[in-house]
Amino acid sequence: MTAAAAPLAVPAGPALAVSEAVPTLAVEGLTKLYGQHAALDDVSLRFMPGEVHVLFGENGAGKSTLISMIAGANTPTSGTILMQGRPVEFESVRQARAAGVRAVFQEFSLVPDLTVAENITLGEEPVAGLRRLGLAGVLSKSAARAEARRLIDDLGFDLNPDARVCTLTRGKQQMVEICKAMRLRPDLLILDEPTASLSEHDSQALFALIRRLTAAGTAIIYVTHRMHEIPLIGTRLSVLRDGQFVATVPADTPEDRLIELMTGRSLAKIYPRPRADLGEVVLELSNVTLAPQVGAEPVRNASLTVRAGEIVGIAGLVGCGKGNLAQACFGLHRIVEGEMRLKGRPFRPRHPADAIRKGLWYSPADRKHDGLALELSAHRNMILSGLSFGPSRGEFLRPRRDELRLRDLVQMVDFDARRLSEPVGRFSGGNQQKILLGKALVQDVEVYVFDEPTVGVDIGACLSIYRCLAALSARGAAILVVSSNLPELMGLTHRMLVMSGGSLVAEFDRADYDEHKILEQFF
Amino acid sequence: MSGDIGVTARQGRMGPGPGQWIIENRQILALPVMFVLVVVLFSLASPKFLTTDNLTNVARQSVYLLIVALGQLVVMICGGLDLSVGSNVSLTSVVSSIVMAIVFAAFPENQWYALWAGLAVGMAVGTAVGLVNGLGVTVLGINPFMMTLGMASIVFGITLYISGGVPIYGIPPLHGEIFGFGRIAGIPIPALVAIFLVGLAYFTLEWTRFGRHLYAAGGNGRAAELSGVRTVPVRIVAYAMCGMMAALSGLLLTARLGTGEANIGASLPLESIAACVISGVSLAGGRGRALAVVMGTLLILLVQNGLNLMQVGAYAQSMATGAILVFAMAIGRR
Repeated sequence: MTAAAAPLAVPAGPALAVSEAVPTLAVEGLTKLYGQHAALDDVSLRFMPGEVHVLFGENGAGKSTLISMIAGANTPTSGTILMQGRPVEFESVRQARAAGVRAVFQEFSLVPDLTVAENITLGEEPVAGLRRLGLAGVLSKSAARAEARRLIDDLGFDLNPDARVCTLTRGKQQMVEICKAMRLRPDLLILDEPTASLSEHDSQALFALIRRLTAAGTAIIYVTHRMHEIPLIGTRLSVLRDGQFVATVPADTPEDRLIELMTGRSLAKIYPRPRADLGEVVLELSNVTLAPQVGAEPVRNASLTVRAGEIVGIAGLVGCGKGNLAQACFGLHRIVEGEMRLKGRPFRPRHPADAIRKGLWYSPADRKHDGLALELSAHRNMILSGLSFGPSRGEFLRPRRDELRLRDLVQMVDFDARRLSEPVGRFSGGNQQKILLGKALVQDVEVYVFDEPTVGVDIGACLSIYRCLAALSARGAAILVVSSNLPELMGLTHRMLVMSGGSLVAEFDRADYDEHKILEQFF
Repeated sequence: MSGDIGVTARQGRMGPGPGQWIIENRQILALPVMFVLVVVLFSLASPKFLTTDNLTNVARQSVYLLIVALGQLVVMICGGLDLSVGSNVSLTSVVSSIVMAIVFAAFPENQWYALWAGLAVGMAVGTAVGLVNGLGVTVLGINPFMMTLGMASIVFGITLYISGGVPIYGIPPLHGEIFGFGRIAGIPIPALVAIFLVGLAYFTLEWTRFGRHLYAAGGNGRAAELSGVRTVPVRIVAYAMCGMMAALSGLLLTARLGTGEANIGASLPLESIAACVISGVSLAGGRGRALAVVMGTLLILLVQNGLNLMQVGAYAQSMATGAILVFAMAIGRR
């Protein structure tokens, strides 16, 4: 599978060619105020037919506010939206759709219990040929299936129209969402971090699709935090910071420059240097086989070691089983064969509580479902496990004392301590991820397992998280990082293991890191 | 597609106009506003409403519902629901009365034997019902609604079977003298019990690790598990506590009535859930406060009392309670 590795040529200069044309959609002086605060401040942008316009900025920079107004989910305080040069006012998502604007957000709009075909055709279901009998409203399941099949094949996805959505992985659900959006061929398609939960293969399929759409004149607004995607797929890129427009630059602008534009400060480098001296082996898995899981590759015969101070990565495709292996260390999956040793002693956790008590923490990949109680405050979320295991443990709470401790801890992840009392549901993805990471710091453990520690967060938050991992490593913690983001693993880790089809198939030392060679092991 | 994309990040800290503030905080505002409204309306409608005698009466009457509602609160915070509280109150009343009557007949010279036996058995029975609910919901994984609805029917059936549907007489008079009509420093003993329980519930929910675990289990059970919280025992204890509260309420009611009754709990599931929901307790779990539930309970009792004074009868009271519940849900909708 060379497609994954080889950088694909960007169709040259459609942005320049169409600069005289009428923008598919333009915003002028768009402003959104929440009370005194401007979430978006006087932003003017033009989205041309046939271009992939990347929106770039930290969480809270105004990207989501901007796209939600373009998609009709939110109304501007002032400013205008022009569609093909004519001013429009979208009061609902439905109106925006009718005008040819379609958005795929990270929050899915799928009905879990319906099939893929039923979801794709939801809202405008094909009706059986019984209209003439006055039986309008009788669904034609075969037509729905056929239409879904056609769309899926057209988009080049690997999806079964008859599968129920709740049985699919997040990546597949994302594909269903895209199919749904593409059904009525919008003029402007908004993709909000579409590859965040896609495997490399599906991402490539999506990119191919995007290229075909732009060739047909569709304008695309593409929000992403994955910098390596930008030159692959983008035409132009606009940077927002604190609700204000910073610059529009060509998509092949160097990463360093983009980070400078986004954060407003210059950065020596993204990844902290891993420490050189390592301690004893702290976590050891030998020939671990897990009980089979529905919908995931069965993990077989996995062996790995992590030493004190070491950061070890597990790379692999989405769904290759690497997440399950990480969870097994925490007692979330049953180890049926093989041995796990923690600090030299055999250890087989049955409940997360066992693992934490013995000094191992696992940070889940899905912060909203597995990581945080969104209604509770950041303070309450962070301190939760600390109430049983950390220096803050005790039957009775001491919120003031805990607050002081948390204030210190959140500095490690660059979180604004004044926001500790707010419910985490209000936070941006980056801040939620910081709180999730903060939960790991509340108790004293020596082994950390991080499952996708930076999924769906902006570069600024990524940098804070990387620094925090480096600080933990400097303290002598053993860290296992599972990530689908290969550049991140290459930057952070001392060693990397590759999982494919449930087995650990290769191991690389930092000195031998080579993106092509590692990627070859993925398939 | 969710409508509030992009409003997520900063909403909380702004200083919006008063209109928006009211809309955002309508749940917190609803209870005091309804409270004032009810007081004003009924004091206009009936001169007797705003008298010390009447309000004392309301406070005294509200004790039984309040205790049940506190139990309901604990269960609702951890994301559950208990529809069997009414049947549980009835069962406790009948069983404790029978035990008291038997022991009293055997040892008429010392009423305390009968009292202690009845109280102990009543509490044990009520807690056991809660425990079964908890085990069904956690170990068997039955939806709380179905589990407790089933239990409500089972327990009520047992109650009728044991009592034969008739009141149980023969309770030692001391029971009523102390727990029905007794006073310490002029305050009715049931009210003291209720005040103590409110304090205990407040302390448990706000200041103990167990309380925090309850909120976490209800707010996001999976996240709580991954934080090392064993949510199964937490939930079981929550249901057992709810059962215990129902038992306490049943014992106090029995003392007040002087007989064991199978039919005293019928309205309690609805009223206790209403009292919680009015006070901003989330049906999804993770949210709710003990002191607000006191207000919610008083509101329900005030409405019933006011309607009583206006002589509109029991049917209208039932309608009013239901209407308040529906109204509270409409306001709490997000």
